[in-house]
Amino acid sequence: MKRSRSSRSLLANGSTTTTTPASAAAPLNPLNPPATPVAPPPLPPDVILPPVVGVPPAQPNRAVARQIRGPQSALTDFLASKNINANQIRVDANNRRAAALVAQQAAAGGNDNEDNEDPDSEPEPVPVRRKNESKAQETKRKKEEEKAIAKIKASKKFRRQRKQYGSEADNTDEDEAARAIFESSMAPLPDQLDNCELCGKRFTVTGYTRKGPDGGLLCPKCTKDLDKEEGSALKKKKTNQGRARRKIQSNLLDGIYPGAKDLMTLCIETLAKNVDQADDFGDLPPSLIDRLAAILSKKRLLNPSTFNLFLRPDFENVTVYDGAKLSSDDYIRIFQIVPKVKSVRLRNAVQFKNVVMDHLLATTVELESLSLHGANLIDDERWERFLREKASHLKVLKVSYTDGHFGDETLGVLAETCPKLKRLKVCHNQKVTDAGLLHIAKLPNLGQLSLDIYNNTSSGPYVEILSKVGRGLRTLSLAAAHYVDDTVLSAIHQNCQNLSKLRITDNEVFTDQAFANLFTDWNNPCLTYVDLHKCRHIVANEPCENPEGVGFASLGFEALMKHSGRTLKHLNVNSCRHISAGAFEAVFASGKNYPELEDMNLSFCQFVNDLVVGCIFRSCPKLKTLKVFGNFGVRDVRVPKGKILIGVPNALGMQIEGIDDHDEATGHVI
Amino acid sequence: MVSNSNNGMSKYVTLRSSDGFEFVVLREAACRSGAIRRMLDPKSAFREAAASVCTFEEINGIILDKVAEYFYYNHKNRNQEDVPDMDIPPELCLELLMAADFLDSLFTVCSSLHC
Repeated sequence: MKRSRSSRSLLANGSTTTTTPASAAAPLNPLNPPATPVAPPPLPPDVILPPVVGVPPAQPNRAVARQIRGPQSALTDFLASKNINANQIRVDANNRRAAALVAQQAAAGGNDNEDNEDPDSEPEPVPVRRKNESKAQETKRKKEEEKAIAKIKASKKFRRQRKQYGSEADNTDEDEAARAIFESSMAPLPDQLDNCELCGKRFTVTGYTRKGPDGGLLCPKCTKDLDKEEGSALKKKKTNQGRARRKIQSNLLDGIYPGAKDLMTLCIETLAKNVDQADDFGDLPPSLIDRLAAILSKKRLLNPSTFNLFLRPDFENVTVYDGAKLSSDDYIRIFQIVPKVKSVRLRNAVQFKNVVMDHLLATTVELESLSLHGANLIDDERWERFLREKASHLKVLKVSYTDGHFGDETLGVLAETCPKLKRLKVCHNQKVTDAGLLHIAKLPNLGQLSLDIYNNTSSGPYVEILSKVGRGLRTLSLAAAHYVDDTVLSAIHQNCQNLSKLRITDNEVFTDQAFANLFTDWNNPCLTYVDLHKCRHIVANEPCENPEGVGFASLGFEALMKHSGRTLKHLNVNSCRHISAGAFEAVFASGKNYPELEDMNLSFCQFVNDLVVGCIFRSCPKLKTLKVFGNFGVRDVRVPKGKILIGVPNALGMQIEGIDDHDEATGHVI
Repeated sequence: MVSNSNNGMSKYVTLRSSDGFEFVVLREAACRSGAIRRMLDPKSAFREAAASVCTFEEINGIILDKVAEYFYYNHKNRNQEDVPDMDIPPELCLELLMAADFLDSLFTVCSSLHC
């Protein structure tokens, strides 16, 4: 490739004919030295300029050259005032063209064209951008380059990279590495043209262009060849490692401990993989069938054909964990094939619509339990008919994500027609209001109640429900009741005497003192499941201040653990930010023991740190998973074997300590 | 089969299938199944404990072979984190699942009674 300076200036002069033919000739005329500020004498129009090639090189003195000019456009004037020279742009373009030409000729097999260019310029591999610069510019550039390289060498990122890869790379010369980084940062940007390092061909640089062995860029064809040569071994190894790590983390989130899987999991996974070959599940016990249904749904394998495996005339339960791929006809099939079905549990059952409901109403199926999630196409009229005609046997009704359906009137009908109802769940409901909630108080046999109403609700109806049916409740779940107040907590304290599961979430009114009062001297057996997440004070400008003691905080936490610590299995106090470090340390102090606690979520409780986590592992022998997302005080805690710590804020994840303490305590072995 | 030593606790136990196949397995490995551990517990008065032989009337030789293989797979990998899954032939899957359910569920029942 020829990119000599003389050829450049030569072309530069040749290309000055920019504006009009008459004026363009001016700077070229050897009789008019560019330095003279005098305007050129007007040339007769028939003057023919000598051919460009062969004109002796003029001094590239742009500042002066600008003085001698003919009429020029406003744009040129403006650009000139900004120190942008149309000439220079043209020159560069011509140079590139020339370089491409030379490259083509070289590729065509002839080196004999070289004498077209300046003979004394060595065909040294000078990078493209150095082709047109003066001595001063060169020294300046070199200086800047050195500066940039020194800067790269001093940067933290560079040092870290060196640390990481230093041992494996042989050519670990620091200067070289720094220069490589510098050059890669200076390489042509996407959409610009460059010459291929190997074949010299001209090509467009894209984001996917890869580097050659000497640091230059490669054209797509050479890239392909090089890729083939190297093979993808290196790349594959890296992605496999990443995949394995991700798999372990994903398993941890699912509560699967790293290490050998138990035999049942292995079998179920194999079965899920080969489900298309299965004709029948044989005599699998219902619990296993349920697990299979769950894992098939998780792998998105539940479709009309695999769904048949779960439909057998003698079944009493049909569970679909994800019915997104099932059509209305499939849902109708449930009632055709399994006429004795007592319990239907369907999630994401969007296609369970009016047609299916009409079919159900026309059958003799007597459901005891109906759980529908996402069936938002059943209108209120159908719900009412269902409740009037089919609800006399109903013991369990769970309805969630029904959008604009299943409102106050429907709950009113439910209270009339379902005296036996033991379990009611109305979640993610956009239609029910305070008036509808009051109907729930008329269900005397209610044992389990879950409410998650999107409309703003007030305390009154909840207090009414609790005073009427609170005594019999074993489960109470009030999610997203944002503005109900302490009267609800005191109603729980007064009325509930059989609770084992309590969930009150997402509230910013309850006070810590009210929580403490609830759990102090409460005439209720110890709870086994407590979820109080997001019961906390929110003020954006003063996040740490909580003068009113709003939310579930230190007092409530200590009172809860004192009341229920003996039997508590699941505890979720996610985002209860005002539980103090002192409260955690007091609750999990060395003498304390929480023998049943298996699963705890302390995410976003800002005072949870290494010490607290260590104390928790000490006082909870059965603990399996502990979640600590967003707790930056947890840095370097050693996790005893058999326990899972999720959400440690570093890339390594949890560090396991010790060996398998294989005894009676560890439950799942095979 | 295996001579009893060390006050009746041999290092190996025998698992016998419904069709008469016998598998001699490390006691430690076999005891990873709760059911077998309960059967062989010297404190319990089961006949299996005395003889160190467990007979499974509902599990045939082919399945018990896989189960024994799993015991050793599990035993070998007990302290590893990144373990490749054991290969399970799809045709044995359902029966093996039943066996696994049996071997583990017995344990859960026992332990909950025990508590």
